[in-house]
Amino acid sequence: MEIPPALLQFVGSLVAIVALAGLAWWFNLGPARRLESEDDARREASEAVDGFAPVEVALDRKGRAGLLRDAEGHILLLRQHGTHFAGRVLTRAASARIEGGALVVDTAEKRYGGARLHLDEPSAWVQHIESIKNR
Amino acid sequence: MPEFDPVTYAVPVFVLLVLAEMVWARRKRPHAYEPRDTLTSLAFGLGSTVAGVLFGGAILAAALWIYDYRLFDFGETWWAVWWAWPLAFVLDDLLYYVFHRMAHRVRWFWASHVNHHSSQHYNLSTALRQTWTGFFALSFAFSLPLILLGFHPAMLAIVSGFNLIYQFWIHTEAIGTMPRWFEAVMNTPSHHRVHHATNPRYLDRNYAGVFIVWDRMFGTFEQERPEEETIRYGIVKQLGSFNLLWAVFHEWVGIAQDVWRAPWKHKLSYLLREPGWSHDGSRETSATIRARWEARRGGGAGKPVADENPIAGSGEPA
Repeated sequence: MEIPPALLQFVGSLVAIVALAGLAWWFNLGPARRLESEDDARREASEAVDGFAPVEVALDRKGRAGLLRDAEGHILLLRQHGTHFAGRVLTRAASARIEGGALVVDTAEKRYGGARLHLDEPSAWVQHIESIKNR
Repeated sequence: MPEFDPVTYAVPVFVLLVLAEMVWARRKRPHAYEPRDTLTSLAFGLGSTVAGVLFGGAILAAALWIYDYRLFDFGETWWAVWWAWPLAFVLDDLLYYVFHRMAHRVRWFWASHVNHHSSQHYNLSTALRQTWTGFFALSFAFSLPLILLGFHPAMLAIVSGFNLIYQFWIHTEAIGTMPRWFEAVMNTPSHHRVHHATNPRYLDRNYAGVFIVWDRMFGTFEQERPEEETIRYGIVKQLGSFNLLWAVFHEWVGIAQDVWRAPWKHKLSYLLREPGWSHDGSRETSATIRARWEARRGGGAGKPVADENPIAGSGEPA
C-alpha cells in the first residue's frame, strides 16, 4: 500500500512537534513563576490590567494565585498560566466559596476557569467578591 | 508555470533553529519556552498547513480567474522577466503591511490573526503559530491588486513564501539588535518584539513584514525601549488556557456572542470595528488603553508615542 506523500508529511510533522515539545519538557524549560511578595503581585496585576492600582492584596501561600482589590472595588484574580500569570477582573457572574479552608474563586468564564487560594482571611474575600453583584 | 514552494524547503531549517533556541533557553533563559505553549504553537503551525491544503485550491482557482482580467501582461514566460521578481517581492511586502494593519484594526480580520499573538511567549515556535481561519478572514483578498496589475498568482505565492520565511527568524529574544543600517531598513527581532508586546506604548505598532520602512513611512513605527520597561507579550486579555481549539476559535466565538447580543444597529460594528470596541463603551481598545497610560505618565513626559499615528491619535478605527 502506498502512503500519500501529504499524509506522510503530516505524520512526520506531528512527530517533530511532539519531539520538540518533549525536548522543552526534558530541558526543564518553562519553570512556574510564583507570587513571592505583594510587589510581585502588583507588578503582575499591572501587566494583566494596565494601570490596576490595588489597595488590598492577598496571596496564595504557595504563590500560585493572588487576589487584588482596587479603591473602586474591582477585584483582579491572578493565577499561574505556565511560566506566566493570567488575570481576570471579576464580573458579577463570578462567585466564591470556602472549601476545606481554601477560597475557591470561579470567574464564570469557562475556558479561564478559576482558582483555589489558601489565604489568611478567605471569608473577607468571599464578601468582597459577593459585593460585586451589588455594584 | 514553475511549481515551487520555498516554505516546504524551509521547514527542516525551522525545526533546527527552534532546537538551537531551546538549547540557548536552557543555558540562558529557561522561561523563554514552556512545553505546553510550544506544543500549542507548533500544532497551530501544522493545522495551518492542513487549512492551506483544504482551501488553497479554491484560492488558486479564484486567483487564476482574476488573473485573466489583468491590466498588464508579462507574457507567456512571465517567470523569465527577472525584474518582476524583486518588484513583486517589494509590492507584496507593502500589501502585507496593509493586510497586517487591517488585521489589527478590524475585528473580523483580527479573529484570524489573533492566533499568532495569543502566546505569552516570544520565541521561534511563536513564529509558527499561524492561523487556521485565514480563508474566512479573506486574507487572500489583499493580493488581488497585484494579480490585477499582472503579477501571476504563482509568482506571488513564491514571493510571499519568502516573506514568511524571512519573518521566522525575527521571533526571538536571543538576538538584541542588529547593525544600525539593518535596523533602519529591515524588520528585526527588536522591531517585531514591539509588535508582539502588550505594553500600552507598543500596542498596534510595527506591522511590517520584511521592510520596516513601511512603518516609518506611515507613522506606525515604535522603537523598542528595553531600558525603560520590561516587554511583555500576548494579547490584552490573555487566554489563560493552552486548549488548542479554544486558542484557534475564541475570537470567532466572541464575535458570534457579541453580534447575537448586540442591538440591531450595532451588530455590524462588532464585525468591522477595532478589537475591544463595544457599543456601550464598556470595553477597552488599544487607543483607550494607550490614552490612559499617557494620562498616567503625565501627558507630556517624553514624546507621546501616538503623535505619529493618525489612527491611535484619533481614537477612531481605521
